[in-house]
Amino acid sequence: MQEFRLDEHSEQFPVAMAYVPWQRFEGIYEDLEKAYCIGTIFPELNKPFTGGRCV
Amino acid sequence: MNNKDQMLRDIGIVGFTVTELALYLDTHPHDRNAIEYFNHYNRIKTQLEKEFSKKYFPIRVDLAESNQEWRWGAAPLPWEGVCG
Repeated sequence: MQEFRLDEHSEQFPVAMAYVPWQRFEGIYEDLEKAYCIGTIFPELNKPFTGGRCV
Repeated sequence: MNNKDQMLRDIGIVGFTVTELALYLDTHPHDRNAIEYFNHYNRIKTQLEKEFSKKYFPIRVDLAESNQEWRWGAAPLPWEGVCG
């Protein structure tokens, strides 16, 4: 899965298509109980909704 | 929280971790690093479940193997007010 820099190639992408960057394994939370309460073991997926804008 | 409840909670937590890793591996099947994490936590989960089932009661019927008596019915039933 080659690495794609969105800004460099943005003009090549057709409009109205969603692009999700590919997750890379960076390890998991040390404290699994905390991860369990957060709802993910992957720090990069820990995106709590803050009632306005995405974190 | 007594030892039984703590152990049950630990099984839940390590089970959650194994599920998360499995979901990651579904889309990254060649990720050796993630596979090692999965194997590691899956072994811990299996070991905890066996230990719990021997010490308290079997949490799944495939863990009910016993050389004494049949213990599958020994688990408290959900409506008996034991679950937290």
